[in-house]
Amino acid sequence: MNGLLRSGASGTLRLAAALRTALPALFGLPLVPLVLVLVPILLPWLPEAVRPLRALANAERRRAGALLGREIPEPYRPARGTSAARGLVLLRSPDTWRDVAWTAAHGITGLFAGVVAIGLWPAIPFSLSLPLWWWAAPEGSQSAFITIDSWPRALTMPFVQAAVYVFLLLWLVPRAVRWQARLAETLLRPTRRTSLSERVEELTETRAGALEAHGAELRRIERDLHDGTQAQLVAAALRLGLADRRFEADPDAARALFLEAREGVEEALAQLRSVVRGIYPPILSDRGLGGALRALAGGQPIPIEMDVSGADARAPAAVEAAAYFVVAEALTNVAKHSGARRASVTVRRAADRMAIVVRDDGKGGADPSRGSGLAGIRRRVAALDGAVRVHSPDGEGTTLDVDLPCGS
Amino acid sequence: MRIVIAEDNVLLREGLVMLLTSDGHDVVAVADDGPGVLPALLEHRPDAAVLDVRLPPGFKDEGLRAAVEARRELPGLPLLVLSQYVEETYAAELLAGGAEGVGYLLKDRVSRVDEFLDALSRVAAGGTALDPEVVSQLMTARQDPLSALTPREREVLGLMAQGLDNGTIATTLVITERSVSKHIGAVFAKLGLPPTDGGHRRVLAVLAYLNA
Repeated sequence: MNGLLRSGASGTLRLAAALRTALPALFGLPLVPLVLVLVPILLPWLPEAVRPLRALANAERRRAGALLGREIPEPYRPARGTSAARGLVLLRSPDTWRDVAWTAAHGITGLFAGVVAIGLWPAIPFSLSLPLWWWAAPEGSQSAFITIDSWPRALTMPFVQAAVYVFLLLWLVPRAVRWQARLAETLLRPTRRTSLSERVEELTETRAGALEAHGAELRRIERDLHDGTQAQLVAAALRLGLADRRFEADPDAARALFLEAREGVEEALAQLRSVVRGIYPPILSDRGLGGALRALAGGQPIPIEMDVSGADARAPAAVEAAAYFVVAEALTNVAKHSGARRASVTVRRAADRMAIVVRDDGKGGADPSRGSGLAGIRRRVAALDGAVRVHSPDGEGTTLDVDLPCGS
Repeated sequence: MRIVIAEDNVLLREGLVMLLTSDGHDVVAVADDGPGVLPALLEHRPDAAVLDVRLPPGFKDEGLRAAVEARRELPGLPLLVLSQYVEETYAAELLAGGAEGVGYLLKDRVSRVDEFLDALSRVAAGGTALDPEVVSQLMTARQDPLSALTPREREVLGLMAQGLDNGTIATTLVITERSVSKHIGAVFAKLGLPPTDGGHRRVLAVLAYLNA
């Protein structure tokens, strides 16, 4: 009962709070036909005229979003061009019309719901006191909906009415709060169409990023092989050729050249190893992501708690390489900057996504906008259309959250 | 020495055979894929085996797995594992069954013919041969506990971890054998390890400490 009462009370407060958007919506409603009639003249000023409407809708998005526990994103897309052109875009945009529809719906129902909810509170004691009124001044005693003209009526109807009020307050008011928030969500969230086109834009961007990153990677590999390894091998072969020519005449000099050639080849091999490691860590193909991550933990100066069972299911090579790079980079950061005494790595798989969490107990304060490590992680993950979150309050350690789509 | 080789690259395999026979060894069998390794070892029971980590059919760590299995079947069989790259985890797995007669080298080392043959004979004699790169990986990873050591002591520890004996360390660092054992004593004291003489036990102790 207590809980019901509290939800009735908080429901009333919420419906009352909704008046803050409902009243301006209601008063703004008559302006809509006015603006529409004057559209041919007002078109260039339409962007300005729409601004308060959007501000109001945004206030409701925040209010309703907070109630529903999920964010209601803004659907508005930036418009370009002259103010007249922008006005035309606004006029054609479904977002504008959905905002107007919400203004009408919320203005009328919101005011009604708020006033009724507030009115129910005094109505209940008033209804219960009706027998007293009948006793004091019998003629014409009535409440809002019933007339009392006899003692039997006076002793029953007010209580029935009060019971109805209580029911409305306890049952309907909390529901009305939810209906109101859902109405706002339905009308004010981006339509499937807008969210899809936004998604397409986002994907176009990450695809361009991926191609860019891929291109840069290819150029880097080509440069490393061409200028490094290949040149080194040519130099070694040259020395072998020279040694061959001198072999008869000056065996000692030939021997020195042989040794130089061998050193050159060894250096080329070392370079080749590092190039290969940069393309795709060999341990990754040997042991899979889980094994590779466990090997990574072994090489750290602090103890790393590993829960990478989610990494044992194979994912596309690009995703595994990115995941490996992310964890390697994150652990390097932990070792270099965090001052942590321990850290943990968790990898979970859900259907078509991989969630990586790297946590440490260091001094926090990691700033993603600085530091090439975090920026590199971000680039790598963005190229695969994944998401990175860094939570690093001062003195409380750092949590790196990475979400990678596995495209299965 | 009778030796079995497991290597899928024909050129390298022929090269190894040439190298080993020219040094007076006897290559009794060669395997060119993972599943062939164990039967060859069991049939010939060689004095030592040289195995590549990556072998067909999977080109993953078949050679390493075969090596670990072979050590279980034939305890004490000297094994020298060659790899295109070195991985601390592989070294740890290989050494998990004991460090006597185990080697783990980068393939590149084959070109240093003398050093390679030396490592092989050390392994065949029950010693240990760890690639300097593995050792340096372990050393950089465990920087902290080693911070008490002087640079020279760290150098000595590195060579010791590769499986070299005091004499070789002395020649490498151009110091007397006496000062080598003095350094080793200091290292053991600083790392809190009881001193022992056997080369492989020293490596084992160092590795156990580094992996702790």
